[in-house]
Amino acid sequence: MHPPLLYQPAPARINATIKVMGALAMVFFVVALPARHAIFLLPVAAILLISAIIGRVRLRFILGRLLIAEPFILGVALLSLFQPGGWRVMLLIIARCTLCVATMIVLAGTCTISELVRVLKSVRIPSLLITTMLLMHRYLFVLGEEAHRMRRARASRTFRISRRFEWQNLATVIGQLFIRSADRADRIYAAMCARGWR
Amino acid sequence: MSAAIDVRNLTYRYPDGVEALSAIEFAVQPRECVGLIGPNGAGKSTLLQHLNGLLPEDLNGDANLKIMGQPINRATLPEIRRQVGLLFQDPNDQLFCPTVFEDVAFGPRQLGLSESEVRLRVEESLKQIGLPGFENRLPHHLSLGERRRVCLAGLLACKPSILVLDEPTSGLDPGGKRELKSLLRQLDATIIIATHDLELVVELCSRALLLNHGRIVAQGPTVELLSNESLMLSNGLERPHILLHQHPHH
Amino acid sequence: MHIPDGFLDTKAAATVGALSAAGLGVALRQARLHLPPRRVPLLGLSAAFVFAAQMINFPVAGGTSGHLIGGVLTAVLLGPSAAVIVISSVLIVQCFLFADGGVTALGANIFNMAIIGGVLGWTVYRLLSRLANGLTGQIWAATFASWLSTVVASIVCAGELAASGTIPWKVAFPAMTAVHMLIGIGEAIITALVLVAVSASRPDLLAPPAGATRSYFSFTAYGVLIALGLALFVSPFASTAPDGLDKTAESLGFDDKAAVIVPSPMPEYKMPLITSANLSTSVAGAVGTVFVFGLAWIFARILVPRTEPVDPLAAARLETKQP
Repeated sequence: MHPPLLYQPAPARINATIKVMGALAMVFFVVALPARHAIFLLPVAAILLISAIIGRVRLRFILGRLLIAEPFILGVALLSLFQPGGWRVMLLIIARCTLCVATMIVLAGTCTISELVRVLKSVRIPSLLITTMLLMHRYLFVLGEEAHRMRRARASRTFRISRRFEWQNLATVIGQLFIRSADRADRIYAAMCARGWR
Repeated sequence: MSAAIDVRNLTYRYPDGVEALSAIEFAVQPRECVGLIGPNGAGKSTLLQHLNGLLPEDLNGDANLKIMGQPINRATLPEIRRQVGLLFQDPNDQLFCPTVFEDVAFGPRQLGLSESEVRLRVEESLKQIGLPGFENRLPHHLSLGERRRVCLAGLLACKPSILVLDEPTSGLDPGGKRELKSLLRQLDATIIIATHDLELVVELCSRALLLNHGRIVAQGPTVELLSNESLMLSNGLERPHILLHQHPHH
Repeated sequence: MHIPDGFLDTKAAATVGALSAAGLGVALRQARLHLPPRRVPLLGLSAAFVFAAQMINFPVAGGTSGHLIGGVLTAVLLGPSAAVIVISSVLIVQCFLFADGGVTALGANIFNMAIIGGVLGWTVYRLLSRLANGLTGQIWAATFASWLSTVVASIVCAGELAASGTIPWKVAFPAMTAVHMLIGIGEAIITALVLVAVSASRPDLLAPPAGATRSYFSFTAYGVLIALGLALFVSPFASTAPDGLDKTAESLGFDDKAAVIVPSPMPEYKMPLITSANLSTSVAGAVGTVFVFGLAWIFARILVPRTEPVDPLAAARLETKQP
């Protein structure tokens, strides 16, 4: 259920705090809304649509990501039928979930890691957590490149095709990736110190 | 005028006891450009890491090494790290921030400069390395040469007086190499380059140090040293082609 | 297993969110006190690694697919508190920048995957690895621990869904547990294979993490949080059918002979004054758990001699590895 790492949001034009807080407010509202006031989900959807337009998030992007999430939502929602009044619960779940996921998709489409970090710092999230997130995001792509290269190298030396071999391959690649990451972490530490990090 | 870098009898052992550097002794004058050459495993990177205090791990400050006349100890370390800019071999290790701006700003921010001064330094440095306007670019969208230059910008933003470069041209295409060379020529700093790129050494460095098995085997004027065929061959290197038929001029 | 928004109601989300916040607080405190600065980039890279590893989907049954949690794997390599920080970072970024996992459900996701999947799994691993010797023993312990923690995490998740009235327990529990018993196998296999691969080239990475002091504070704190989570979200749904002894007594006809000798403050696991049956059991379970834990802690302090902290410089050769 993990979307591919393709979309790169346009540089910030709207204040990051507004974006994040706005998204959070909408999600909290949708989740906390009592069932009998479900009609208020509609204005939220409208606000979301307007936000998406202002943020210039492409509809195809939103729908694409939504399509990945929906089967999971539907699958679990179906299980809610196994109780009295299940129909209503199920529809409500689907409506709430979809709206919330769409909100977060729009946020994802307009927010960069730097902005997210700035907002989190302003609410006093501890710096170790923030540094971890920043480094994670930066080295995700490096890791991806390395993994790609390793798989290609492996593939060009692979003649047998068997299930067990594939599992072993996968494990060796993942194991090597971790070791290389550990080595790289040492070098990054050295680089950080060399530039005066405390 | 004291030497920019003064190394006397530097010895370093790995934690498992293997000796990496033995009795290293050399000096680099301010504004000199010196090339550090040697085969793989000679200890070039290890030596470079001594120059800004990354090694030895316990930094006992015994005055084997002086930067701008100062020994490296806990008290002098922050200033020495500012004065000595170390360019790592893999730019991915050094480019650890989410955007170019944040990465180049890292050093100045650690120095405690004001945001406006930081912004100014970033702009200046990016212009200096020939990538103006790259502030919002993402590291993984840059080519290797661009990443390396951004790393250099990150160092220049702290206005160092000594630049230590570890394999700056490795992996670059000829165009990238040319750009880097012309950039280095324009810099007003003491420069040490550890490299396999012997042409680079001939073109930029007035002196060269030949390192092998952790020892300085020879040091002297570049052309003289690198033209010594038997010396080069016996140390896992060779006489660069550029020296075979003509005298280059700097 | 990333729960999206809308599956949990406000009170469940808030409760488990509070537990997670506390757990994260403990982890950060541990890191602040014991994590050498050299390890900080390793947390970031491990987070990237876990993020990437979680993208490996394996189809389980009927259209559902599972993914790695990586809790025990990370905890074995970095220590439990570092694992909590790593997994929380992954979940937070996935939530905000990839719309994966709800923001109201962030507390639940962190609790299930980082605290249950990570800390509880690591505890099981440590207990088991004392019984089995050597590298093989360690790896078998980690393998089992990762399977078990996946299953337990799914049970807690089922409890959270049931407590929110989203899916009734009698459906959620079997569905989640059955699916995750299978997913857990994948997790266990990959954990094992990766640890084998790492131990082949870098056995020093499997040494106990540098600076791992046997800290009573974190042990107690995590324990209380985990126990609370189980008490609040699993025990209320524990069978209300009479247990074995009662049933035997019923069928043999002497259950009316049992007399109340000492009146218990919480008869039949119900808190006096709280009327809702489930909430009552839930709170009673929580109070009982904290009480038992307190007792255990006191015994532990009295009986177990305090060990010296592991010397951070000696422990992991990783720290002094040469570039």
